[in-house]
Amino acid sequence: MSESESSRVPHDDNLQALTLGTDVRLQDLVDHEALRDMVRSFHTLFGISLRVFSSDGLLLAESVVGQEICHYVGTLENGLRACMATVSKARTIEPAARSKEVTHPCFTGAQYRVFSIDYDGKKLGKAVLGPFLPAEVTSVPDTLLAVDPKIDGARALELLPRMPRAKTEAISLICDHLRRTLDLILWSGHKALLTSQMHLSSVRESYRELQQKNEKLQEAFDRLRELDRLKSNFLGVVSHELRTPLTSIIGYSEMLVEGIAGPLVGDQQKFVQTINDKGQQLLQLIMSLLDLSKLESGTMNMKKGTVAIGQLLSDVAATLAPKARKRSIEIECTVEPGLPDVQGDPDRLRQVFVNLADNAVKFSPEGSTIYVTAGPKSLDDSSDEEGFSLLEPSRRMIEVSVIDSGIGIPEDERERIFDAFYQVDSSSTREHEGTGLGLSIVKRLVDAHDGTVRVSANHPTGAIFSVVLPAAAQRSQLGSPARRPG
Amino acid sequence: MQFDFAAKELIIKLVYYGPALSGKTTNLQSLHVLADTGSRGRLMTLETRDDRTLFFDMLPLTFQAEKEISIRIKLFTVPGQVIHGSTRRLVLQGADGVAFIADSQLAETENNAAAFVDLRDNLKANGLKIGQMPLVIQFNKRDLPNVRSDVELVELARRGKEPVFPAVALSGQGVLETFMGLLNRTYAGLNAQHNLKQKFGISDNVLLEDVAKKLGAKVPVEELLRSALGGTPAVAAASPGKP
Repeated sequence: MSESESSRVPHDDNLQALTLGTDVRLQDLVDHEALRDMVRSFHTLFGISLRVFSSDGLLLAESVVGQEICHYVGTLENGLRACMATVSKARTIEPAARSKEVTHPCFTGAQYRVFSIDYDGKKLGKAVLGPFLPAEVTSVPDTLLAVDPKIDGARALELLPRMPRAKTEAISLICDHLRRTLDLILWSGHKALLTSQMHLSSVRESYRELQQKNEKLQEAFDRLRELDRLKSNFLGVVSHELRTPLTSIIGYSEMLVEGIAGPLVGDQQKFVQTINDKGQQLLQLIMSLLDLSKLESGTMNMKKGTVAIGQLLSDVAATLAPKARKRSIEIECTVEPGLPDVQGDPDRLRQVFVNLADNAVKFSPEGSTIYVTAGPKSLDDSSDEEGFSLLEPSRRMIEVSVIDSGIGIPEDERERIFDAFYQVDSSSTREHEGTGLGLSIVKRLVDAHDGTVRVSANHPTGAIFSVVLPAAAQRSQLGSPARRPG
Repeated sequence: MQFDFAAKELIIKLVYYGPALSGKTTNLQSLHVLADTGSRGRLMTLETRDDRTLFFDMLPLTFQAEKEISIRIKLFTVPGQVIHGSTRRLVLQGADGVAFIADSQLAETENNAAAFVDLRDNLKANGLKIGQMPLVIQFNKRDLPNVRSDVELVELARRGKEPVFPAVALSGQGVLETFMGLLNRTYAGLNAQHNLKQKFGISDNVLLEDVAKKLGAKVPVEELLRSALGGTPAVAAASPGKP
């Protein structure tokens, strides 16, 4: 199926038939109960029986009272036959659309009027009004007296005038009024039906349109996700390929610095050292990119185990001590006693805290102190969560904070610093030798440990980076609850 | 178009399309006033809020042609507001001809163009090509200040394909001309496609004259059609191919 065909509006035959009036039925336009009420009320007002038929011959409503003369005639054998013939003849009369009403006479002298019920120039049904006795009939007609030899003329004369009477012109006016009333009802019914059908069709069409747009969005989304995956792959491959020649550059420059290829003279030593330093820096950047692409593509290999957080933080402090000492910065490590282990990859967690502490050293003023603390996560005062008192104790979390008194991070930047390549002040990249990847790697690594990382302000200056990690499950608490003796 | 052989009825659906508040409903109201009581049905307006059409207006007109054939013309308007796109697509289904009612005010230039692009897209969504749809354009509200000038209108119409009718629908000016222009093009198209003349023996000239008379025309149809600016002849514009 081509795109233009699949996006085509399906043809709404119902709506089309309804709007063009090609398939409109009387029974669809009127409420049956309301029509019956109207017919009854008409009968009460004029005293004349009324029947309404649809164009397929269905009796939709009637209000009929048997006439005494008819009962009497019905008791006579020939009378009954003649009566039935008259009634069934009245039923078969089908006046054409937009024609005048048809008069159908009865042998009693009474009459029926049959007229078509039209809507928008089309016949939808018919109404049969009667029997009634025209005002002009004053004596018992011969046709009634001749219907059966056993008929009692005096009885007929007594009963005939009890039939509802009306003048011929009055009946025409009544028919006209009834036609107009029905037309209004049909018009209102058609309008209501069309409105509801239109509502339905519009909703269906809007839904179809939305559905179609959703499909396009989903396609675009899938395509973007695939592109993102390709980008991560590409980044991984390129980083790897860059690293190989770089290793040679670093290795050979190192050998040159060490004098393996002979002593360096003058500025040579300094120049080669710079090549080596910058090579190392480039390697760091490439390693970070590689980490980031692995983390983004979800291909980072995590060797999860239990990590003693106190030991880990001491290692981190020791690693950064030489760098800190150069700027007379102290790193003070405080770990609360009895802190449970953390579930995670020791190398990756080490990377997280080295990164954070390294940042702290970079941005702290000379002679200041950096505090690294670890303890159970402080609980908030209250929570909206259902079953909090049951759930919270099972989620034992450990919070590690790296606190510096450096330049701090403005409040509106705190969300974005974890984006890749983002730096609060882009000029600081050069000044502080950062790649802008450290924090984004931290964030992704912490995420991969089901933890959270956030930054807040230290007073009066500086930043606090808090990492919350889940504690490793304690075996002793599972499986064997203490039993009460007895 | 639908032809009901049993009832000897030809049903033609014409749609008045255009931007919001350009006077589509006013055109139908004016036609309703013009038509004689025997030919016009009630003007049905479905769901309005603050005098704005939400679904559509419908005006049925019925004319007796030769050989006891009745021609039933159903006129529809679409809701002009942008959000009613789905309703516009539904109303366009089965349309035999379209009158595009544009607002002459210069400030409405963009809205006119956007509504026309919307018409083209919605016809396409219904599997119809705008080039195959009998189409006339009405520039309404000629009595307002800051409208596109007559000279410009004549020049634009001369260069375009569709006949352009200037109108003031509120006072009925140009309304009958637009309708007759549309019916003429639509009928010519249907005739070419279904050979109505030969099949049913309805001659278009007699039919058009009769319709115009019942809509209160004081002059021959030829003269009404001549009030159009520009446009290629109707029969040539109508495509004999299937839509």
